[in-house]
Amino acid sequence: MSKRAPDVAVLTANRLHDGIVVFLSANGRWVESIEAAAVARSPDEVRCLEEQGARDSAANLVVEPYLAEVGEAGGRLIPRRTRERVRVEGPSILDDVPGYVPAGEAGVRPLVSNVRVPHNAGGEGSDPVSVEAA
Amino acid sequence: MYRYDEFDATFVRQRVAQFRDQVARRVSGELNEDEFKPLRLRNGVYLQLHAYMLRIAVPYGTLSSRQMRKLAHIARVYDRGYGHFTTRQNLQFNWPRLSDIPDILDELADVEMHAIQTSGNCIRNVTADHFAGATADEVADPRPYAEIIRQWSSLHPEFSFLPRKFKVAVIASEHDRAAMKLHDIGLHLKRLDGGGLGFAVWVGGGMGRTPLIAKLIRDDLPEEDLLTYLEAILRIYNLHGRRDNIYKARIKILVDALGIEAVAAQVEEEWLRIRDGALKLPEAEIRRIETYFAPPAFDERPPKAAVRAPVSHDGRAFDRWVARNTHAHKQPGYAIVTISLKPIGGIPGDASAEQMDAIADLAERYSFDEVRVTHEQNLVLPHVRLGDLREVYRALKAIGLAEANAGLVTDIIACPGLDYCALANARSIPIAQRISERLAARQDQIGDLKIKISGCINACGHHHVGHIGILGVEKRGEEHYQLLLGGSGAEDAALGAISGPGFGPDGIVDAVEKVVERYLELRAGPDEPFLAAYARLGDAPFKEALYAA
Repeated sequence: MSKRAPDVAVLTANRLHDGIVVFLSANGRWVESIEAAAVARSPDEVRCLEEQGARDSAANLVVEPYLAEVGEAGGRLIPRRTRERVRVEGPSILDDVPGYVPAGEAGVRPLVSNVRVPHNAGGEGSDPVSVEAA
Repeated sequence: MYRYDEFDATFVRQRVAQFRDQVARRVSGELNEDEFKPLRLRNGVYLQLHAYMLRIAVPYGTLSSRQMRKLAHIARVYDRGYGHFTTRQNLQFNWPRLSDIPDILDELADVEMHAIQTSGNCIRNVTADHFAGATADEVADPRPYAEIIRQWSSLHPEFSFLPRKFKVAVIASEHDRAAMKLHDIGLHLKRLDGGGLGFAVWVGGGMGRTPLIAKLIRDDLPEEDLLTYLEAILRIYNLHGRRDNIYKARIKILVDALGIEAVAAQVEEEWLRIRDGALKLPEAEIRRIETYFAPPAFDERPPKAAVRAPVSHDGRAFDRWVARNTHAHKQPGYAIVTISLKPIGGIPGDASAEQMDAIADLAERYSFDEVRVTHEQNLVLPHVRLGDLREVYRALKAIGLAEANAGLVTDIIACPGLDYCALANARSIPIAQRISERLAARQDQIGDLKIKISGCINACGHHHVGHIGILGVEKRGEEHYQLLLGGSGAEDAALGAISGPGFGPDGIVDAVEKVVERYLELRAGPDEPFLAAYARLGDAPFKEALYAA
C-alpha cells in the first residue's frame, strides 16, 4: 500500500473502549457512520484530519487513526480499498452467523461509564500500517 | 480432565486482577496504546477490523460441559450470541468491549479457563489429537504430556520474549490429526524399542509466508526427558532465532538456515548439560498427571440397539452420518462422534450460544461430560455409546449440526479472513460458503477431500496443506485468490503448489469445481482419493482444466 496521502480521504480509527469503527466528523466528534465523516480534499485538509486524529489518539478516545481513501458516487462516500469497504459495512456474512444478535439487541450489559477524556494537544498518531501478528 | 490446583487457580486470578488494572489504566489514559498493546496481547486481546477480539485457550482442545456452557453464557451476555472455533483448538469472540474483558476473564477463571498465551511471542496453547484418549489407534493418551508442557510453559520467564510465537502439537497415533509436522515442535508419542513410552520429536514446521515441513530431530526421546529436551530446543531458538525481521523469526527459518544436523548438535549439547536437572520428569509425576485423564467409567455391557438399523424416516441420513461422522473407539460398544460445524453454506467453526448449550447437554448426557475442539473447526463427543448414537444424531439435527460431511469437500477450514481480521487481504468465509453450496450435492461421490482457505499469507486457514488450498491476496485494492493443489497436513504432510494465475472471487469457486470435476473424470475409481489421484497424475491435467481456453 502506498504511504502517500490520499487525494480524497476520511479519517478512521477504532473507538478505545469497544473497538468499534469510527470516523472523524466535521464537528470533531467520532461517529460510527462514514456518511457523517469529514472529507479532506486538499493536502491542508488532510493534515488537519491527521492532526486531530493524533490529538484524539493521545487523548485515548480512539486507537490507531489513519486516512482511508474514498471516492464519491451518488452523494455517498465509498472507500477505495475492499478492506475499508468491509470496515464500513461490517462483516459481509452476518446474516449467516448462527445466533447473531446485532449490537444493542444482544444481552450485552450497558456501559457503566463513558470513557471520554479531555483533549490534550500532545502525542503522536499511530502508524496506520502497523499490524498485530496473528 | 485436568483440574486446577491451588497454584493454577491463584495465578489465573492474579492475572485477571493485573489485567483489570491494566485496562483501567488504559481507559483512564495512564497507558497509551503502545504501552498497552503488548499487555492486552498477552491476555489474548486483539484489535481487529470492527472490534476487539478475545481468543480463549482450550488446552489440547478439551472442554467440559460446564466450560462449554460458560462460553455460551459469555457469547450471550458479553458478545453477540456466538463464538468461533479456530484452527488452533481455541475459541474467539469477535465483539467484546475492552471494558468488559476483565469480567469475561473472571467468568472464565470460574471454570478454570483463561486467555493467557493465546497471543504474543511465547509458547502458545498446546494442541493435541482431538480423538486423544478415545481413539483405537493410539498408543496412549497424549494429553497428560500436553498438560505437562502447559504447566512448564505457562509464564515461563525464560521464554516469555521469544523471537516469535511458538506452537507445539502432540499426537499418539500413526495417523496425524493435529497437523503435527506444521508446528514449531511436533511430538509423536510412541512405544520405544525398550518398551517404554517416548517421543519422536519434530522441529521447524510451520506455514505462513515461508511454509516448511518439520524435520525429525530425535526419534527416541524417553518420556522423562520431555521437558529437558524441549527446554534445550527453546534455548537454542531463543539464542539464535532472528529478531531483526518478523518474517524470518520463527524456528523453522533457523532450522532451514542452519540445517537440522547443526541445530540438533546444539540442542544435544545443551540437553546433555541439563538432562538430569530439575526438569527431568519423575515417573510418579507423569503417572499423577495421567490420573486426571483416566478413561471414564465405560459401560461394559454390549449395546442394546443395532447402530445401523433403519427404524425411522431418518434412517438413511442417520446411516450416512454414522459412516462419515463417527470413528472407531478404543472401548468396544462406543464411538467417537464428530459434530460438524460446517452446515452446507454455513460459516466454518461458528456456533451460536444455543448450539453450545445444546452440545454441552449432549456431552453431559452421552459423552462423560467431555467435548473436544478440532483444528479442523469441528467439535467432538469423544465417548458415545453406540446405542445412543441415534439420539445424539436427532439432537444434533434439531440444532442444525447433523451434516454428515466430516472429511468431505464441504468440511472446509476457513480463517475469519477480511470479514473480521485486521491482517487479512481477502474474505475467506464467503468463498467457503459458496464452494460448500456448489459441491454439496456431489460430496459423497467426491469422497475425502480437504479444502483449506486463508485470507492472507499468515495461513491461519492452513491453505498450504489443503488438498485444495486457497490463498486470498489483494490485487490493486481488490480481493484475489491463488489456488494450491496437493497439500496435506496429515502424516503424509506436504505443501501444496500454486496452480498458476489466480482468480477473482467468482472465478475461484469455478476453479475449485473444475479441479474437482477433472478429478472425478480421471480418478482410477471411487476408492482413489483426490490426493492419490493428484500424486499419480501430476498437476498437468488440473492446470489444463483450469487454464485451457
